Amino acid sequence: MSALAAHSALMRFSRHELRLAWRDWAWMFSGWRNTSLRRALIGMGMFYAIMHLIAYAVLSPYFATGIMLDQTTQAMLSVTVLLSFTMMLSQAMESVTRAFYARDDLDLILSSPAPSRDLFLVRIVMMALTSWVMSALVMSPFLNVAVVLGGQHWLAGYVVLLSVSLSATGAGVLITLALFRTVGAQRTRLTAQILAAIVGAAFLIGMQVVAILSFGSISRFTLFDPAFLANHAPSAGSPWWFPAHAVAGQTNAVILIFAASVLFFAMGAWLGAVQFRRIVVLALGVTEKTTRGRASERAFRSYSPFGALVHKELSLIFRDPWLVSQTLMQVLYLIPPAVMLWVSFGENTEISVIIAPVIVMAVGQLAGGLAWLTISGEDAPDLIATAPISLFTRLWAKVLSVLTLIATILLPIALCLALISLWGAVVTFAGAMIAAASAILVQLWFRSQAERTTFRRRQVASKASTLAEAGASISCAAGTALIAAGSPLALLPVVLLLIVLGISRSIRPRHDAKI
Amino acid sequence: MPSSSPAALDILNLKKCFGKPAVNDLSLTVRDGEFYALLGPNGAGKTTTLRMVAGLLEADAGSVKVCGIDAFSDPIAAKHVLAWVPDEPMVYDKLTPLEYLEFVAGLWSMEPDLARFRADTLLDSFGLASHSNERCGGFSKGMRQKVALAGALIHEPRLIILDEPLTGLDAGSARQVKKVLSGLVAQGVSIVMTTHILEVAERMADRIGIIARGQLVAEGTLEELRERASADGNSLEDIFLKIVGGGSEGGAQTGKADYPDEKVA
Repeated sequence: MSALAAHSALMRFSRHELRLAWRDWAWMFSGWRNTSLRRALIGMGMFYAIMHLIAYAVLSPYFATGIMLDQTTQAMLSVTVLLSFTMMLSQAMESVTRAFYARDDLDLILSSPAPSRDLFLVRIVMMALTSWVMSALVMSPFLNVAVVLGGQHWLAGYVVLLSVSLSATGAGVLITLALFRTVGAQRTRLTAQILAAIVGAAFLIGMQVVAILSFGSISRFTLFDPAFLANHAPSAGSPWWFPAHAVAGQTNAVILIFAASVLFFAMGAWLGAVQFRRIVVLALGVTEKTTRGRASERAFRSYSPFGALVHKELSLIFRDPWLVSQTLMQVLYLIPPAVMLWVSFGENTEISVIIAPVIVMAVGQLAGGLAWLTISGEDAPDLIATAPISLFTRLWAKVLSVLTLIATILLPIALCLALISLWGAVVTFAGAMIAAASAILVQLWFRSQAERTTFRRRQVASKASTLAEAGASISCAAGTALIAAGSPLALLPVVLLLIVLGISRSIRPRHDAKI
Repeated sequence: MPSSSPAALDILNLKKCFGKPAVNDLSLTVRDGEFYALLGPNGAGKTTTLRMVAGLLEADAGSVKVCGIDAFSDPIAAKHVLAWVPDEPMVYDKLTPLEYLEFVAGLWSMEPDLARFRADTLLDSFGLASHSNERCGGFSKGMRQKVALAGALIHEPRLIILDEPLTGLDAGSARQVKKVLSGLVAQGVSIVMTTHILEVAERMADRIGIIARGQLVAEGTLEELRERASADGNSLEDIFLKIVGGGSEGGAQTGKADYPDEKVA
């Protein structure tokens, strides 16, 4: 009887989660708008077809000569698997933390007689499956083309992807549980976010740093040079390349990797499930830490409305732990250019051509995030809107806050660059500030009132603004590199930037003048 | 004797449509130093009306004067003398009440010493003095509401608009807030408040306006409303239900939001 009840609860939770997942997907594919899902799916289908064409263009030269599972191929496939693992682990850590902390329906479920353990098991399985489906969507054009050109054994790639999803999700649960045990419920969320950011970026950045130190090149693909691999990497038969054998469809390798992943996932899921209620109760008990400042006897500062707004924006940004992890993520991507700068110091005055686009891209993305927080992520919109200040003053104060922060972060980098190339430093600084200004403009045009806590969804809430922001950053990065190189082709990205901004302005949603 | 000073709030033929009319040719006047309670079923248009007065929503037609200042043609001047407190307290989690009040004082260009004095007085009145250096993120909804209210009062507005200010407050906090509001009215400040707690309107308001379907269907003192509803000796609840027809969600008898206000829309 009890087994029957447990089975029934599991089924109910599964149906509930599947329904929520489906609605989330349908909503996502229709662009978070009430547009036709069919139209969105047709668009996605076309995009998927184009991806197959790209995959064919990339893979056909390899298969034309008959692909050999030599050391280079093994290294490339294994590194791809490892890279997928780090990306999925980063995503899993975010999702698992959200499962513990997001209030949503937990009050209802925990107060019901249904076993909460089952809920966690269902959610963790959904996490692994979602991760697999998402990664399969990205990788499937390449796998499908490989199957057509190379044979059915490449279908094993899907099993390897599933194994990687299972292992990453299991590891995500175990790491989060360890964090709860070591740093406590109060700090786990922030620590997990920072760790997820580092895990997601560290492997790629690490490869780039090794490439710079070994070859003086910022491209991580130089590591796959056969001569370099022959001297520095394990030989072709090494167990290190085990994932490559699994992707290529060697039966024993596939079975082994899948079985190990299932076991690892089951262990993580079970440990998480049995502790779920206890951890959620701890997590839900965490409120904003009561930060007691000094008992202040000082008089208030004399602010103009504009000054008060700028001071408020800067205070909120500096006190935002979520932003710390996001900024850290952007700063991590600046490590390779910094290493490049250090390695090339005094030798290569054209270094700015190589590192300027990286800096410009990173600054553009960071400015977009900060601009969203200040412009759209206003937690007291009614207060600001009923204050006796003009809309222009309100928005300009927010814009200036972001530009001040960006300039503060950028200035030391530009000064270091100036020691090598003054022209390069000036161009990089100007390019980065233009990228920041473009991202801010896009955020101004596409502003919509939201809570700061929904920062994570900002990029999916408006596909148009995300694309415009990325397009503007890429144009600025390309333009900066070409100007640093003294190429007249720099005009092209400049024109592209103007087109991107022009289109963004023309399709911007209508704003209520009061916001 | 009629007062020579302009009305604290003068709304004339105000209209707002969200597909259907939410506020339909509404006119009302709040006198200087008056406590005015605006009642109505859910979706009757109360919040929409007040948001237009506060400059948070554009009106389709009509005019609004705040202390004699045309709020549509000179919104900044009108905002100088007005304060708006929404039903959901909007404060910054990462600021302390003192920092929040310093920020609000800056927005209204207050003189710093006066602002500090007012901040201390208000925090003390609301029982928040011992929490003045803690960040608002850890506060209960009631405490946040009191911080928001202190922010609305710090610049000494002449007209305060409160949308369900007592929602979520415990009995003690509600009493503190009511005491502060009564004190302000005694000093000549005008208050317009929407509430579903009819007992509060009954005890505190000088006049009561009842909105249904975006229109003012009744207005007057409690006695005047009693007479109009032929409900001698009955409570405001009986009068209210008699006037709006016992229905809820929008207006008389329909039982649904025929004229949704902004939130419903």
